[in-house]
Amino acid sequence: MIKKSRKVRDYKALTKALPTLRYLNPPSVFIHLQNGRCKTYDLTVKEGDHVDVGEQIGVRHGGFFEQPVHATISGTIGKISKKFHRTGRKVDCVEIVNDHKDILHNLIYDRTDEEIAALTQEDMVEIVKEKSLVGLGGSGFPTYIKLATKEKINTVVINAVECEPYLSSDYRLILEHPGRVVTGLKYIMQALKCDNAIIAIKSEKDPLFQVLTQVLRVRFPELNVKVAKLGNHYPQGWEIEVFRWALGIEIPHGELPMKYGVIGFNVSTAVGVFDAIKHNMPVIKRYFTMTGDAIKFPQNIRLRVGTSVKELIALCDGYIENAGELLVIMGGPMMGTSTVSDDVIVSKTTTSVIVLKNVDYKEEPCVRCGSCVYSCPAHLEPVQIMNAVKRNDKEVMKGLEAFKCIECGLCAYVCTSKIHVTDYVRKAKIKLG
Amino acid sequence: MENTLPKIIRKTSPYLRRPKANVTRMMRDVTIALLPVTGFAIYKYGMTALIIIALSILSMAVTEYLYYQLVDKLDGDKFKLKNKSYTLYNFSVITSGLIYALTLPDNTPWFVVIIGAMFGVFFGKLIFGGMGQNVFNPAALGRVFIFVSFGTMMSYDIDAVAGSTALTMLNNDVFNIAVLENFSLMNLFTGIGIPGSIGEMSAILIILGGVYLAFRTSFEVRIPLAYVGTVALLATVVALYKGLGVWYPIFHVLGGGLLFGAIFMATDPITSPITKGGRIYFGFALGVLTFFIRVFGAYPEGVVFSILIMNMFVTTFDYHKWTNQQITKKQKIIFLIVVLVTILVTIVGVSYVG
Repeated sequence: MIKKSRKVRDYKALTKALPTLRYLNPPSVFIHLQNGRCKTYDLTVKEGDHVDVGEQIGVRHGGFFEQPVHATISGTIGKISKKFHRTGRKVDCVEIVNDHKDILHNLIYDRTDEEIAALTQEDMVEIVKEKSLVGLGGSGFPTYIKLATKEKINTVVINAVECEPYLSSDYRLILEHPGRVVTGLKYIMQALKCDNAIIAIKSEKDPLFQVLTQVLRVRFPELNVKVAKLGNHYPQGWEIEVFRWALGIEIPHGELPMKYGVIGFNVSTAVGVFDAIKHNMPVIKRYFTMTGDAIKFPQNIRLRVGTSVKELIALCDGYIENAGELLVIMGGPMMGTSTVSDDVIVSKTTTSVIVLKNVDYKEEPCVRCGSCVYSCPAHLEPVQIMNAVKRNDKEVMKGLEAFKCIECGLCAYVCTSKIHVTDYVRKAKIKLG
Repeated sequence: MENTLPKIIRKTSPYLRRPKANVTRMMRDVTIALLPVTGFAIYKYGMTALIIIALSILSMAVTEYLYYQLVDKLDGDKFKLKNKSYTLYNFSVITSGLIYALTLPDNTPWFVVIIGAMFGVFFGKLIFGGMGQNVFNPAALGRVFIFVSFGTMMSYDIDAVAGSTALTMLNNDVFNIAVLENFSLMNLFTGIGIPGSIGEMSAILIILGGVYLAFRTSFEVRIPLAYVGTVALLATVVALYKGLGVWYPIFHVLGGGLLFGAIFMATDPITSPITKGGRIYFGFALGVLTFFIRVFGAYPEGVVFSILIMNMFVTTFDYHKWTNQQITKKQKIIFLIVVLVTILVTIVGVSYVG
């Protein structure tokens, strides 16, 4: 098939209509002390100490920023062990054994609306930094750095596209708590002194449009927020693609959107901002999708950060019978990381775990049909990059701008010969450094 | 526990693939698109056509089979009846054989058919490393090989009145309207009552195949459109310059193997450029070459030659310094200039030929 194809079968029907299950009292949680961006850490508590919900238990050190680590349940500190992280590496995790009392730490209090109205950009940045809020859509980029921008922002864009197949956690989040999303957005707009905002959704998600316009009309008539229905294709949720469709702004590779007067936040991040500013609360709970064709009963789950995926799989009635080989994927099926065991922990930035039956696709020789070239959202020529990788020709890889690849996986998805093109482009990126 | 513990394995993203997309579907579609043309050939020439088609497909398939068995033997592998590189399973070899057969004249001797098929598949495909690696279109290579080596043995089933095929006449007397007395445009369009290669006569059935392929997205529409469009454009320019009337471009488009070559041979994705822009320029270059060979060259027909010549330049179209996923403004300007220069060259050439 030679065609531009950005339609990806989305399988969201598995969980889209299901109300969210609450699983807020796990026997114990594991808190990541390292992550993709932070390699070292200091733990300020020791084994046997008692902690409250939201209490700071340590700090992660990143390259140019520090992230406080918070307890997500109240209980006793247990041992430090190695567990898989979303990035696919084993990292140190500290266990907190639940005492089922759910005592809030004394730092967690509600700010009144008057207090919030008096907050300046600097105050908000400070709060968000202290609560170690990061991009919850999966990027994990510290939100305070974005929020502290000195550029003049004309439009805040909330990215609720969720274009990856299978995922429905953002969808449920907006359906169930539209007020929190919009309030979070309001705080962001206040911090950035910006009057316009757009909430970007896929045009097929009409319920979200209904809910959001209703909430905006009734509860936030003073806000100038537009709900924009964008295309249904993949990767519509890529920030650059969102800006292109919602605002018509083309942002070149490697430039920050802030320079062009726009800034993007994920929906979950907006809710995180709401929690941080209104309740002075770090991210302790999140919406999560447990789905896939090898799970008996796919679910949307609201859970504590640090819950073990094993428990969640049991909660979804476990794997299907005679599953054979399985793939356990953290994140979406197009860009997520597959892990070697189900002994993984839900971190702040994990949007979902997808368990798929393994299908070994039979690769055929490339027939140069050009579907990958036609479909690439970053305007690359994946097949040519693949051939350059095969003959290890760095000059060509550079000439074809392999470094621009966003690893969306569309080239491998559309491939007529079922070749894993994305893997080759990834290799090219690594070779180019 | 009622079920066995599942084994969790590791892979890299993405984990999904487009359903229904595979090479077999693409190649099978080309074969299906060729069926009306094949049917017409058999209807018109009966057993002769059937023998040519069967011989072509068989000798290509057998050559490939023997080649892979030999390679296995040289590699010291054990004998397997089925070889995984063998492309009979994905219709690739059938498609090549069918296309090759349909470009042959009806009086081609059987051994010439076999030699051409074997040469085409061996030097056009196998020697480069099999499917997906070939530089030349196997069918076109085989066709040109026997055309050059055994040209005198292959003749068209010549009509007593017409005396030769449409393009041969046109080649002898380039701008003579008299050819129309023997070949009405309607006959060229339907393929009834005109001599020619067994599969290249009926324009309407070829276009039907093209439309089917376009609907199934199994080929690149841009190449035949650019190709045929260019020939039509240049022929129109000549017609205007010489005051020949509208029959001239139509004659060029419908006569000879242009439509067949444009729809079934030039669009072979393996031997055409990879980008949208590249494919349009490729079609344009093919059109220019074909037209020049027809009008200025020694041979009456230039489709297969131009396809083989341009196959060599595919890597040039795809060179990383100027290839681009999108058609840039710069490319458009350069392309426009090239088109204008080509028109100019055509006019100069035509006035020289007289």
